[in-house]
Order: sequence, then structure tokens, then C-alpha cells
Amino acid sequence: MPSFASPKKIGVFFTHANTGRLDGLDLEKVMTFALELPEVTVVEDLGPIRRPDPHKLAEWIKDLGLTDVVIAGDTPGYHKPVFTRAMALAGGEADAVRLASFGEAGAATDQVESTAKAAVACAVHDVPFGLAVTPVRVPVHPDTLVIGAGVAGIETALRIADAGHHVHLVERAATIGGHMAMFDKTFPTLDCAACILTPKMVAVGQHENIDILNCSEVQAVGGSPGEYKVRVLRRARRVDPEACVACHACRDVCPTRVPSEFDEGIVERKAIYMAFPQAIPNAYVIDGDNCLWVKSEGEKCGACVKKCPKDAIHLDEEPRSVELTVGNIVVATGFDTFDATLIERYGYGRLPNVLTALEFERLTNASGPTGGRIVTRTVRRKRKTKQEEWIFDTDAPAPRSVAIIHCVGSRDQNHNAYCSRVCCMYSLKFAHLVKEKLPDAECYQFYIDMRAFGKGYEEFFERIKDEGVFVVRGRTAQIQRGDDGMVIRGEDIVHDRIREFPVDMVLLAVGLEPAKGTRHLAKVLDIQPGCDGWFTELNYNTDPTATNRGGIHVAGVCQGPKDIPDTVAQASAVAARVLGSIISGSIRVDRDTVSPAEAAAQASAIASANAQEASWPSEPTPT
Amino acid sequence: MAIRANPHLIDELEKYGAQDVVKCYHCGNCSATCPFSGDTFVFPRKSMRYLQLGLSSRLRGNLEPWLCYYCGECSEECPRGAEPGETMMSMRRWLTARYDFTGISGLFYRSPKAELLAITLVALLTGLGFTLFGMSQGSLAVYDGPGAFLPAEKVHVFDWIMAGVLVGLLGINCVRMWWFTVGSDKAVRVPPGQYLKQVLLVPWHFMTQRRYSQCDRKRPWAVHLVLMLSYLTMLVLIMFFLHRLQHGPAIDWTVHALGYAAALGLLGTTLFALRGRGLRNETHYKHSHETDWIFLILLFVVTLTGITQHILHRGGLETAANVIYIVHMMGVVPMLVLEVPFSKWSHMAYRPLGMYFSTLREKALLAEEQDSRTRPEPVAQTA
Repeated sequence: MPSFASPKKIGVFFTHANTGRLDGLDLEKVMTFALELPEVTVVEDLGPIRRPDPHKLAEWIKDLGLTDVVIAGDTPGYHKPVFTRAMALAGGEADAVRLASFGEAGAATDQVESTAKAAVACAVHDVPFGLAVTPVRVPVHPDTLVIGAGVAGIETALRIADAGHHVHLVERAATIGGHMAMFDKTFPTLDCAACILTPKMVAVGQHENIDILNCSEVQAVGGSPGEYKVRVLRRARRVDPEACVACHACRDVCPTRVPSEFDEGIVERKAIYMAFPQAIPNAYVIDGDNCLWVKSEGEKCGACVKKCPKDAIHLDEEPRSVELTVGNIVVATGFDTFDATLIERYGYGRLPNVLTALEFERLTNASGPTGGRIVTRTVRRKRKTKQEEWIFDTDAPAPRSVAIIHCVGSRDQNHNAYCSRVCCMYSLKFAHLVKEKLPDAECYQFYIDMRAFGKGYEEFFERIKDEGVFVVRGRTAQIQRGDDGMVIRGEDIVHDRIREFPVDMVLLAVGLEPAKGTRHLAKVLDIQPGCDGWFTELNYNTDPTATNRGGIHVAGVCQGPKDIPDTVAQASAVAARVLGSIISGSIRVDRDTVSPAEAAAQASAIASANAQEASWPSEPTPT
Repeated sequence: MAIRANPHLIDELEKYGAQDVVKCYHCGNCSATCPFSGDTFVFPRKSMRYLQLGLSSRLRGNLEPWLCYYCGECSEECPRGAEPGETMMSMRRWLTARYDFTGISGLFYRSPKAELLAITLVALLTGLGFTLFGMSQGSLAVYDGPGAFLPAEKVHVFDWIMAGVLVGLLGINCVRMWWFTVGSDKAVRVPPGQYLKQVLLVPWHFMTQRRYSQCDRKRPWAVHLVLMLSYLTMLVLIMFFLHRLQHGPAIDWTVHALGYAAALGLLGTTLFALRGRGLRNETHYKHSHETDWIFLILLFVVTLTGITQHILHRGGLETAANVIYIVHMMGVVPMLVLEVPFSKWSHMAYRPLGMYFSTLREKALLAEEQDSRTRPEPVAQTA
């Protein structure tokens, strides 16, 4: 056994894995750096080799007289068994094979080179990376900015505010609530979504520590971690939320009708509107793009102003910017659904009874346009313009058969290659709602793979099957106009048949996509969106809420598709991270402060201290 | 019955042009998109499955590839980019090789070099043979009439001998196809009467390519039909009216009108296909196996030299016409001898036969189903 005094001879071997994370890395520079480290006698790039021959490696180790081996690369652990075997064959010590994992050290960001160098230095000195490279901490401002007021943003804001710290909650729409406010039920518990969310919304609205900035967008972010300066554009609401008492007088006189965004366009709203009765702030808002007064620059209309008993309406309100100073920023911008018109063969937009998931969500919602009655859409001509219009008439016949098509726009390399994760389960929920409200209707699920992955989900799937829903394995390809409604055609893979039969209603389980403006926001915040548009977390396994910039966190679907429980869990995790930094008064800055030279010096110091400690003769303690 | 799986089946098919079969995750999109996929024959997904599982025996008895005309819709809409259309195409090549008892077909498909070598060899032999034959009995300066270099009557005899050999070879392969797909399958019993009843399907599909016209896109069918009918017209003219075609200098319009139309048809469609494959402007032109190129180029060369020799002859340049005639034969003979029984040309027999056999199978299966339905339920014995 070599004594501690004998000089080490260390070989550093670079390996390659096609993860794509290190594409920007200049390996030559890291190799030069490694060669200058003490005791390193050889630095070798193994190239894109799958499995080196242990016998050849052993000969190599013997010839060079190596005592230690460092395997460096993105995922070097893959090669450890081979090197350990080679080391044993060469007569060395098995635990003298160490890893310098760039991936684990967080080298996937733009500081890839310095992190890689530091990781190699630490492995050469046999010191854990986290011990030698300690992130710099800076003081943090106690206020927090939350971008997006869906369930994720609401949850984060409430947790932080409840702990006594101030939150600015920025929301693009006129009301907070996001997509969850539109839902009827949640899976797999079939709880009423509004019953969960609206109390939280009210709590946000009334919270002394939360300042809601609705109709607002983040325009610019300056400053540095710990003290960001944020400029927020506050678009004109034109109705003062403090003064408005939601008496609806203005709505009744407004002459302009446009499709309601909150109801996915299946009903119309006025130009002065409240998205839904429980909107927070509970006040009217004017849609400036459609208001007659605004469009005619004050020439026409203005009826609502005359009618308002509280003088809450200020049609000439101008947009303005506000400046905020915050220590932490939480991004919770959520998603938009896939545009189903892109898949022409499903006939969305051409066939009136092909609905997207969100449209059905509103249709089946007790507070929706039909009061929760599931009916087929009626086509009629507008009296004045003779234009075709599709409406949900409460008296229209209910569908006798409903088909639900999974994976619309997901798991499809022509659209989004990823799995949107929630569609299987919400489709099952839809099937349940159809069966519950229309027991005589037939319901078909066309799926590729049933992804019932969560707690209670598989059981929910079994329950749906017991309820008499036909579950067909195979994705449908076409929906065509039939003699009486529509004809759906798909392969039933299990029974080796092509199924072609008439249906009255088709629901498209559209996938999730990053919300509009996500890329722009990423640029403003200087954080990274991944290749499919979702924000990239710092480390998928160990740091799923942080981003590559200190003090900027991601919560909810904007980080990747997830369901409500996961979203809430992540939002709470983010709140914990934010509160942690506020309580300690400082945050960890991004890793661009990693200095390879400093890391090497630090690692060397720790290593020599360790060596000294180990070389002390172990004497029996005197009794 | 135990089924043997061949783990290298996909690798084998890749040599025949299959691409990305492993990517398929069996969503069934392709089968539902295909207008031909119905109750008895659900494809192409199932064939992708057979390939992934390595079920060579199932694949060998599979008629589905012959029911596909490669309109390319399945490949375009495939969410995985697994190219089901191209897989069906490669399976047709693979099946052609299975039907061929000589093994030459498989060799050509797996090694285009071998095919090129064989074509060159046959072309050279043809050139040499016709030159020697022409020298021995005529003069290079005479194109037709007495003392002609290659007199129509003699070439005519040669054509018929060649046709006999080729039909014989292809016929044996067709019988093998029947055995693999219908004959050896114990699950399906086709009554002999049905064979007669449905036999008209073969010429019907051969002449009209009716099924192709049922694809959503009509242009590929139109191009294919023009190419096929032009070829057929030319074949009939040459086999029966060669002397009238070659006789000059006056133009015998009764045969020439058809001849010109056919020549134009062949020239136009081969150029169209060559351009399409070059530009990859349609899904079915996106992937070209080497044999596709060889086939098209051979056909183009044969058409061009045929037209050229005709022009030269009518223009009075008889020596040049004779030289081009030999070049023409150096293209025609390898094209027919090698392409008809062993390569792409063989599909003119297999495809209509595929329609015929699939109809027989379908009828037999339906009859069986009805039979089992009308049969009285066995009465349970009571104690």
C-alpha cells in the first residue's frame, strides 16, 4: 500500500456523452487547465468511445505508473466500472478512480467552461465539488415579484404573504385565477375546481401583503440578484377597481359584443365586462381593442360612463409604467393549449361539434353558458349579417355519443414531441362527466398509451372503465361530416379493426404549450427556455425550481407540463426557497462566479488539511 | 403453432430501404388514415409490428404491401416520423425477393452493385451478340428491307424467345407468391370456384389500376397509369407489329399514331418521376432505393434511344440508326431480362395478383364468419 508521502500520479480522462449539454464547451482549454494541476501526469481525451477495453486501459495505467484516475465529462459515471476494473487489473486501488461530473456540477449553463475546470480540479484533489466551490451570497430585498396569477402564482404569493412578506402579483389578464378558474372538476378526486380556487383568490385579493397588478406585463428587468429593478407596464383598465361595485349597470348598456376569452369564445361578452362573477379584483374592465369609445377616440358611445352610479369608469385612462424593487422573482406564467386547427383532419373550426378540452370544460361547468348542460352546438345564421354562427342553445339536443381523442398536438414530432402529461387524466374526467350527466350517451376514448401515473390515477382509470366508457387503444385519424353529424375513423389496435362510426360530439384533448410571450419574458429575465419552450430549471433532479439566475424561480406549468397537485407542490417549494432567502437575508448568486483557479486553490487547501489529519499517528487515547 | 422470431428482420429490411421502423409507437394513425385499410386488412401499422417483432413468416404471407400504392399520407401524418409508407415500399421489395426462387432478386436489392454489374454484363453481351449477328448477315448501312443489319423478322423471333423465358420465370414466382399468401395458409380455405369467379380482377386491376385511383391524391395514379399504359402499348406494338414499325421510309400511321403517343407517354412520365425523385418533391419520392434509380434511368435510356433511332432512320441516316438500335437493345434486354422477373418491373404481375389474392382471402374469411354464425349452437348435454 502506498504511503501518503509517496507522490501521486494522476491521469485525467475525458469522456463524451451525447447529452448535448456541453456543446458549447471548448474541451482543449479544460484539458490544458487539467494538465497544469499538481500531480496530474497525463490528460487524455477518450473521444466518443462506448466502452473502452479494460485490459488496454490497465496496460496504459501500468505504463504511465498512474496511482489515481479522474474520469471527467458530462456523465462520467458511465465509464467508472471499466476504469475500476482496469485499475484493479493494473494492481492499483479501486477507490482511486474518481469522477469529475460536469453535469452534476451544474455545467449545463453558460458558465460551462469554468464549472468544468473547477469540477476537474476538485476531482484531482479528491475534494467534493460542493465543498470547494461555495457560491457567493448577496443581501436580498425582502419583496417578491410573482409573474402570473394562476394557481401556481396564487399559491406562491399566499405562502410568502402569509409569512409576512410583501408580494407583487403581476397578471396579464384583468382577473387572477388563470386556467384553473375555467375548470369544472379536478381529477382524480372530482372536486369542484372553483370551490378550491376561489377562496384562495379571495384571500389573495384581501391580503394586506399582496399587491395585485392586473392588466400588467413585465417590461424590463434590471439590477442584479438580490435587488432586481423591474418595470411593469400597467395597461389601462378604464374602470377603477376600488370604486366599482360590480352592479352590472354598465354591461347592460354596452352595445359591443365579442367572444368571451374566459369561456373560450363559446359565448359572447360585452366590451365592458367581468370575466366571471368571482373575478378578483371583483370589478369591471374595459376591453380597449373593442370599446366603441376607445376605437372612435371619444367620438361615439360612452353610454357606460353615464350609467355608472359610482363614477368608476374613466374611458380616457392611459397605460403607465411602475417601477418595483424586488429580491426574488417567481415566474409562474403557465401555458396555452395547442391550436387544434393545425391538425386539419380533426376538423376543428370546420365542424361545429368538435370541441377543444377547454371549450368542453366551460360547457360542462355549472357556471358556464349552458349551466353545465352538455348539448350539441347549433348552427344558425345571424339575423342581421347573415353570418353563420355557432351557439350552445340550452334546449339543443344532448349528444348521444361522444368521442374523446387523446394526444392532440402532443407526442407528435410534427407538433410537440413531448407528452403534455395532463390530457389522459382530464380526458378520463370528461368521460366521467359525460357519463354522469348523460347516462345514456356512449363515450369513447381513443388513446395511444394511458398515462395514469399519479396517486389514485390508475384507480380512476379503472373506475371510468367500470362506468361503461369504451376505451379504444389507437389514435383516430379522421373526423368527417356524416349524414347525421360526424363520422369518426380510427384503428382499434387491440381488436385489430378499423372503427368507423357516427358520433355527435368530439372532444380534442389538446396538449399544453408555453404561454404566449414566454420566449420574450425569458429574454427580459435573462433566463433560459429549453428547446421546447418551457423554462429550464437549474437541475432537473436536485434543483427543479431555480433557474440559472440567482433569485429567479420557476413554478407550475411554465417549467414543464404538470397537473394541479404538482403545480401547487412546486409553487409551495418555490415559496419555501424565497422565504429561506428572505429569512437568511441573502441569496446564492448564479454560478458565473465560479473561478477555476480559486476552486483549485480551495480544493488543494482542503486536501492538504485532510492529508495532514490522516497522517497523524493514531495513538490510543490515554486513560 | 410456434412462430419463430427473427431479431435481425429490421436490419434485413433496412437493406431493402426500410427507415426508422423502430420509431413506431403504434398509435394507429397510419392505419386510420389509409383509405384502403378496412376490416380484413388493417395496415400499415400491423406490418410495422410484425417487423418490430421479427415475424418473418407472417410477413412473407402478407398481402398488405401489395394493397398499398404509397400515396404517402401515412408517412406525412406519422407522429413519430417512422415512415410507414416507405416501410411498405421496402416490404414490397423484400417480398419480391422472397417470391423469387433463384435468389437473384434478393441479391440485386441488397447489393445495387451486383445489379449494376449484371446489367452491364448483359448489356455488353447483347451489344456484342447483335453486332456479330448483324455483321454476319447484313450491312450496317442498311436499316430495313433486304440486307438489313437487324431485320425485323429475326429480331421478332428473338423477342418472342425472350418473352417466353421471362414469362416462365415470372410465372414460377407468381405461383410461389400464391403458395405463400393463400395456398399454404390453413386458416383460409378458398373454394376453387372463387378462383374462377374473381379471375377477371387481375386484368381489371392491371389495366386500370382502379385501386390507385381511390387514393386521396389523383396525380400519382395518373402518372403511373400513363406510364403503364404507354409501356403496355409499346410492348404490344413491338411484339406483334415490329415489322410495320421498322418499315420505312413511309410512316404507317395505324401503328405509329399509337407508337408516338406511347413514346411521348414514356418520355414524359419517366422525366417526371426522375425529376420528382431528384427534388424529393413528394412523399413517395422522398426516399429512393438504388433500384428505383436504376429502373427509371434504364427506362429513360431505352425510350430515348428508341425515339432517336426512329428519327435517324426516317431522316435517312441508316448507319447511325443501326448503331443506336444496338445501343437501344443494350438497354432493352437487361431491362427486361433482369427487371421483369427479379426487380422492380415484377410488380406489374405481383400487384394485380395481390389484389386478386386479397379478394379471395377476404371472401373466404367472410364466408367462414357467416358459416360459423349460421351453424347451430352445440346443445349442451344434460345429465
